Amino acid sequence: MDFFKSGLKTVLGAPEPGHQPSGAETVERLVDRVNNSTLLEDRRDACRALKAMSRKYRVEVGAQGMETLKQVLELDRADSETINYALDTLNNIMSPSQFEEEEDNPQVPMNIGEQFTEMFIKDHHNIQLVLDLLDEYDFRVRLSAVQLLTSLLTNRPKDIQEIILVKPMGVSKMMDLLSDTREVIRNETLLLLIKLTKGNANIQKIVAFENAFDRLFEIVSSEGFSDGGIIVEDCLLLMLNLLKNNSSNINFFKEGSYIQKMLPMFNTPEDTEDPGWSPQKVSNVHCMLHIVRTLVSPSNSAQIVLDCQRIMKNVGLLDSLCNILMASGVPADILTETINTVGEVVRGNVGNQDFIGNVMAPSNPPRPAIVVLLMSMVNEKQPFSLRCAVLYCFQCYLYHNEMSQANLVQTLLPSSTDVSSLTSGQLLCGGLFSSDVLSNWFSAVSLMHALIDNPIQKEQLLRVLLATNIGSSPVSLLHQCTLLLQQTTKLQTKVALLMLLSQWMSECPAAVSAFLRVPGGVGYLVNQTCSNEHDENEYLLQGLSAFLLAICIHFNDDSVENYSKDSLKQLLVKRIGMETFTAKLSEVSKHELYNKAAKHPQLRAKIPAEVLIDYEFCRLFKVLESVLVKSFIVKEEASPEEAGERSSPGGAALEQYKALIRQQDARLQELVAQLDALLQQNQSLQSALNDSLASNSHLKDENTLLKAQVSAAKCVPSTDTTPSQDNARASEYEARIQQLTAEVTRLNDLLRTSQEEKKSAAEELEKLRNDQDDLLVLLSDLDMKVNEYKMRLVSLGEKVEDENPEVPEPNLT
Amino acid sequence: MAYAYLFKYIIIGDTGVGKSCLLLQFTDKRFQPVHDLTIGVEFGARMITIDGKQIKLQIWDTAGQEAFRSITRSYYRGAAGALLVYDITRRDTFNHLTTWLEDARQHSNSNMVIMLIGNKSDLESRREVKKEEGEAFAREHGLVFMETSAKTAANVEEAFINTAKEIYEKIQEGVFDINNEANGIKIGPQHSTGGGASGAGGAGAGGAAGGGCC
Repeated sequence: MDFFKSGLKTVLGAPEPGHQPSGAETVERLVDRVNNSTLLEDRRDACRALKAMSRKYRVEVGAQGMETLKQVLELDRADSETINYALDTLNNIMSPSQFEEEEDNPQVPMNIGEQFTEMFIKDHHNIQLVLDLLDEYDFRVRLSAVQLLTSLLTNRPKDIQEIILVKPMGVSKMMDLLSDTREVIRNETLLLLIKLTKGNANIQKIVAFENAFDRLFEIVSSEGFSDGGIIVEDCLLLMLNLLKNNSSNINFFKEGSYIQKMLPMFNTPEDTEDPGWSPQKVSNVHCMLHIVRTLVSPSNSAQIVLDCQRIMKNVGLLDSLCNILMASGVPADILTETINTVGEVVRGNVGNQDFIGNVMAPSNPPRPAIVVLLMSMVNEKQPFSLRCAVLYCFQCYLYHNEMSQANLVQTLLPSSTDVSSLTSGQLLCGGLFSSDVLSNWFSAVSLMHALIDNPIQKEQLLRVLLATNIGSSPVSLLHQCTLLLQQTTKLQTKVALLMLLSQWMSECPAAVSAFLRVPGGVGYLVNQTCSNEHDENEYLLQGLSAFLLAICIHFNDDSVENYSKDSLKQLLVKRIGMETFTAKLSEVSKHELYNKAAKHPQLRAKIPAEVLIDYEFCRLFKVLESVLVKSFIVKEEASPEEAGERSSPGGAALEQYKALIRQQDARLQELVAQLDALLQQNQSLQSALNDSLASNSHLKDENTLLKAQVSAAKCVPSTDTTPSQDNARASEYEARIQQLTAEVTRLNDLLRTSQEEKKSAAEELEKLRNDQDDLLVLLSDLDMKVNEYKMRLVSLGEKVEDENPEVPEPNLT
Repeated sequence: MAYAYLFKYIIIGDTGVGKSCLLLQFTDKRFQPVHDLTIGVEFGARMITIDGKQIKLQIWDTAGQEAFRSITRSYYRGAAGALLVYDITRRDTFNHLTTWLEDARQHSNSNMVIMLIGNKSDLESRREVKKEEGEAFAREHGLVFMETSAKTAANVEEAFINTAKEIYEKIQEGVFDINNEANGIKIGPQHSTGGGASGAGGAGAGGAAGGGCC
């Protein structure tokens, strides 16, 4: 500290005697000097002093110096030493950790670094300033800039990620530093990138695009793979960040042949004497296994998983993993994680499942690796997490693979003659009925997984017989399970058996009737369902019993006399009641561990007490719950009518079938008639077709004949008209003829009318002539009278003047 | 699978012009009629053969939306080829080409091969940009030009393969520094041990054939 004090003295000048300046005052003067001094040396010294003070007087330096230090970054870029002091000072101010110097200072708030970070990043330009400094080749500057960015990211990861993402070349600049030949910078950059890529898919993609995987594998390889130091672990952590939940990058990793490059990590040294596993190596391999699992995680898309699994087998990665399983001296947690990893590498991939099915353990006598693993699972003395891992691995081995499911069941059937060697089936049966609760649970769930979506194995497993006591006759596995369910007092065993039976009996009427034949089975379920205990686990048991009971009804083929579908339903309605029943059923999915199990195929139990419900059972329950409830409600509504006539269910069914047959018969006849009609129709159509064909050919002949005639006609020179012209002319003529005929008829009419007119005129004439004759007669009469009167007049002496005296007009009317 | 070279491509252009569809048609030989917005960047890969050499194409399909523009910029530098896509039925996507090109030129290495693509050539009845206009733009800016249809797959193979041929020729001419991976070119494992990559086959790209998806 004396050195600093003397340094300060030289910078600030001698203090006034008798007055010891406070930290704040000193900071103020230093900041003032950086701001106002024109000499670079002075500014540099002031920065150095500020850096020295920034640990103890963090608040003061940060509050007063922030702006000044930012200016230094901008204006003094040419002097790397000054820049370096400024960066280090900023880094101290915003450091996420607490310094020794400030431990006893209660005035420093806990999150002071974060508060200053918030101030610093308000102006995005400040981040750009630091990013620009990454371009400086100077070791100190570059290192300080990287460290400052790491601090900023630690305090405000989301904000800084968003800011850097929009800075052109922001991420690229950091990626360049990964190739820096100076290891310190490279290593610090790794830490920076781990923070930068955490949870930001866009940055992860850019980093991957900038050849991150190549760089990282180069580093891992140069550091000696899994035997390397913490740098290897950092590289792997970064890879993990890049791949986690980032399907685009996983795809890139797969397409870029990087899976192959992981292989040397898992190479187990052969023949060399065991060097032991250093803690670092354990961490490294852990990370590597984690990467493998990230690639084939069940939450990825199925196509990506299948591709990765295939590649892992083809390049020998799966083989290497199996070698770790079989190697000696592998730490337990690595072994556990390797088992989990092997599980996910084979899950749902038939080729890979077959592969591990054929792996033999180097034991004496040689046993299949699967058998050796199961031995650990049902062994109380093995670590809990290891046993869980084996269960998961075995479930993955059975998943979507009818062959491996069949193989497991096969080992239990009486036909398998191989008595000498221990089989998986025997191990599981042993586990099922052992006194160890976890063994019960693991074995029951394992067996259950051999039955998923596999009706054949459900029936096959019914054939399995167990020799319980020497001398007594063997009983079936199902029988024994049902008995155990009634006898045991342990929750986990009960739940496991209920899950096994549910899976077994769903979609399998044969298993249902086998269960119904076991004495006490149904009674137990009804009692359990009715039970009125108030406890989370009791609710679960009641729900599971209700579920199994519902399966007994729904998949019942009425082959057991006392427990037909209807009688069981009556039982359910009377003893439990529909509403209570559905309420109990819904309790299952309310259990905390049910919801935990439903999330992921792997059992994620930290302590043995958390082992209760299996993922695949959750799926079964989800599918069937609504189906079962619905089928009951529908049938219940229909039952009142049915109940009356169903006095003899067999007869009723027979009647039903008879009706059905009758119906079908009628339909058959109808169809036959239809067929006949169609055949006839077809025949008539055929003959009609023949006729028309014949007439067609006839017409063709005629046509050719006519053509010939036409062509012959054409040969006559006078009529060189084409038929169409003839036609035209003919129609023309025809039209004219028609016209003429019309004319003729018109004229005829005219003639007729004129004749008639003539006739009537003649008649008129005749009449007039007659009239004239009459008049002439009358006239002559009158003439005679006149003459007579003339005579008389003359005779009377009257003089008559005219020869023709005026004659009065004769009245013609 | 072993390859002689690995080329990195990016696909850029306005949103909705069919960038992701072009990639899907090239890698999976199928067409997705529903527009599904690309978020950030998506990755695809395929092996092709040029001049008898296996070449692996790694393709980054970028988001066209303005909001992702700054993210897209991070991909220019490390790419050896870029497919700049517009939609022949939307004039505005053609008008924006200049902006895209400026962006690309500013952030990429100067040797990046840019192929201009007028997509949706199957929608002739709705065409708004003439083929000649695309050709003229390409000529003016020194780009290779093609009209494609991601729907009918017309010219899609050719677009990707011709871009690869250009890059391959540039390698043969020694324009690209193939040892600098920041250029978006990587020498395959078989090649680096064989030595003498350039120089030898300077005849240029010969008959190219589409290889299956690896």
